[in-house]
Amino acid sequence: MLRFDATQLVLRHAGDSPIVGNLGPTSDELYHAGHRDRNFYTYGNMGLCSSIALGMALSTDDKVISLDGDGSLLMNLGTIATIGREMPENLVVLVWDNEMWGQTGGQSSHTATGTNLEDVAKSCGISKTTTVDDLETLEEAFGRAMNEPGPWFIVAKIEEAAEYMPVAPVEPEFTLYRFRNTYIE
Amino acid sequence: MPWAETIVDTLKKWDTSLIAYVPDISIDRVTSIIDADPFFHLVSCTREEEAVGVAVGSYAVGRNAAVFMQSSGFGNSINGIASLCLPSRTPIPIFMNLRGQVGEFNIAQVAMGRNTKPILDLFGIAHYTIESEDRMDTLLDGVMKLCHAHRNPVAICMTPMLHGGKIA
Ligand SMILES: Cc1ncc(C[n+]2csc(CCOP(=O)(O)OP(=O)(O)O)c2C)c(N)n1
Ligand SMILES: [Mg+2]
Repeated sequence: MLRFDATQLVLRHAGDSPIVGNLGPTSDELYHAGHRDRNFYTYGNMGLCSSIALGMALSTDDKVISLDGDGSLLMNLGTIATIGREMPENLVVLVWDNEMWGQTGGQSSHTATGTNLEDVAKSCGISKTTTVDDLETLEEAFGRAMNEPGPWFIVAKIEEAAEYMPVAPVEPEFTLYRFRNTYIE
Repeated sequence: MPWAETIVDTLKKWDTSLIAYVPDISIDRVTSIIDADPFFHLVSCTREEEAVGVAVGSYAVGRNAAVFMQSSGFGNSINGIASLCLPSRTPIPIFMNLRGQVGEFNIAQVAMGRNTKPILDLFGIAHYTIESEDRMDTLLDGVMKLCHAHRNPVAICMTPMLHGGKIA
């Protein structure tokens, strides 16, 4: 399953929900799959994607979707514990797990050597978890996550396309401003 | 008014109701009031950088947020502040117990504590050190106004001169 196809699938089911994108190709592909005001692209702050989404989920009733990465989440595993402590019903964490730090040269990450992020989430008290590896099972899991109370933690095993898409022409100040205006206007 | 209550009042005045933090013995006087007050949602984080991310997420959906930490935790949160708060311009007040000051007993706290303000200066982040309750309400109110006008983090550094110096 290619991340871009999976991202398009997510957008088809996301409605008006905020989507936070992990740094790099995840945010770029989110932009190319469907730029919208409630896409919160990130270009730094490695590890904080799901923490940002958690802060959103605690402060809005909307379903909030985090498109995180294996390498980034490994940098901030503690936030899975905080999600397990807060238990926001409206949070959906989707981990694009390519088992590598893809954008820094494709070095294999700890999910390639035995770390199971779904098990980590379970042991943090999150019961709505699954691991999927094709579009069909992703669609089923994500559809449920959007309709049933969570928090949800979905690990999606993905493959990299031959080439990255162009860097999205967005910048953080405008991203935040545009995103936030959909809540305060 | 005691310093802890002044902070709580100022947060309420500025409608700042999500507080993300990692515990510190001195600022516990504030965070325990916050924890007991239904106006606030106190989020216990595992690491201060995570708290910064949670606060930014809250602000992004229209609810003002602040973070509480000690200065060692500022060290843990620098990349989150530098690569998220600054480029996206998020007004997050950072309340911290500034370690490494008079009365410090722990050598491990000195370097980070004493370098916290120089690092804030390098990033151009405004910071205010509060050592007394005198006119603290006026100062804090002005700090919050600046924070939102500039849409940037500000640091409020509290020392043992203010909170009595119980250090751990
Ligand atoms: C704090 C920090 N450390 C390291 C980097 C370099 N870096 C950028 S992206 C990345 C890998 C991210 O991996 P993952 O989340 O799995 O995303 P992928 O590249 O696989 O899409 C690394 C190590 C960085 N930007 N910030
Ligand atoms: Mg990866």
